[in-house]
Amino acid sequence: MTNIEKYNKAFIESFNVGEDKLKGLKYQDIIAWDSIGHMQLMTQLEDEFEVELDIDDITDFSSYEEGKNILIKYEVNLNF
Amino acid sequence: MNNPEILSFDIKGIQECQQNRYPQLFVDSIVDVVPGKSARGFKNFTYNEWFFPSHFEGDPNVPGHIQIECLVQTFIMTFLCMEPYKGMKTNFVSINNAYFKRKVIPGERLEIRATLDSFKRGIAKGSAASFVGDEIACSADFLITLPDVLENFKPRKK
Repeated sequence: MTNIEKYNKAFIESFNVGEDKLKGLKYQDIIAWDSIGHMQLMTQLEDEFEVELDIDDITDFSSYEEGKNILIKYEVNLNF
Repeated sequence: MNNPEILSFDIKGIQECQQNRYPQLFVDSIVDVVPGKSARGFKNFTYNEWFFPSHFEGDPNVPGHIQIECLVQTFIMTFLCMEPYKGMKTNFVSINNAYFKRKVIPGERLEIRATLDSFKRGIAKGSAASFVGDEIACSADFLITLPDVLENFKPRKK
């Protein structure tokens, strides 16, 4: 599984959304991405990529796209 | 390797850790607490409990929602016993796989065994089961939040 597939899987499983809904998705756009859902997503990403996200990165992680930029800081390249 | 710290709480100690109070406090003592891992609680039911006359007249038994409270009030002690969480408010997120196996009646003592599976960023996940003697009374899985902790991890902007 590629990194982008793992990244998408975390969203799909945390929020029970289709892959086609991920582009442009922001915090609170859907009911499932509330504060609880956000923590589930963070935990799943940490498990998938074996990283520990800093509190500032967790609070900055406000959209599907922003999350990609944040993960680059943890040397997670989502281009492959 | 050091042995894990084991804690016990009487009713005063329980109230220092959690905000439930009479008539909504449903544990008498908590023992064998391994902070961040597990706890064992006890609740003695007598006919003096406020709910027995109405649930039910002629057939008094502990309502299901109170049995669930016994479980969760023991469960939350697995993390509310630790600083800096002591005394914080908790909220339910989900109760899953709740099963009721037997009636609990006046004069019986409920033993509750709770296990914390994960505790991160104000979200606690785990399970608890209660027993009368060797017989299981009820069990459930819980997802609980500490809203004051969770608040610190919410995205700042939409």
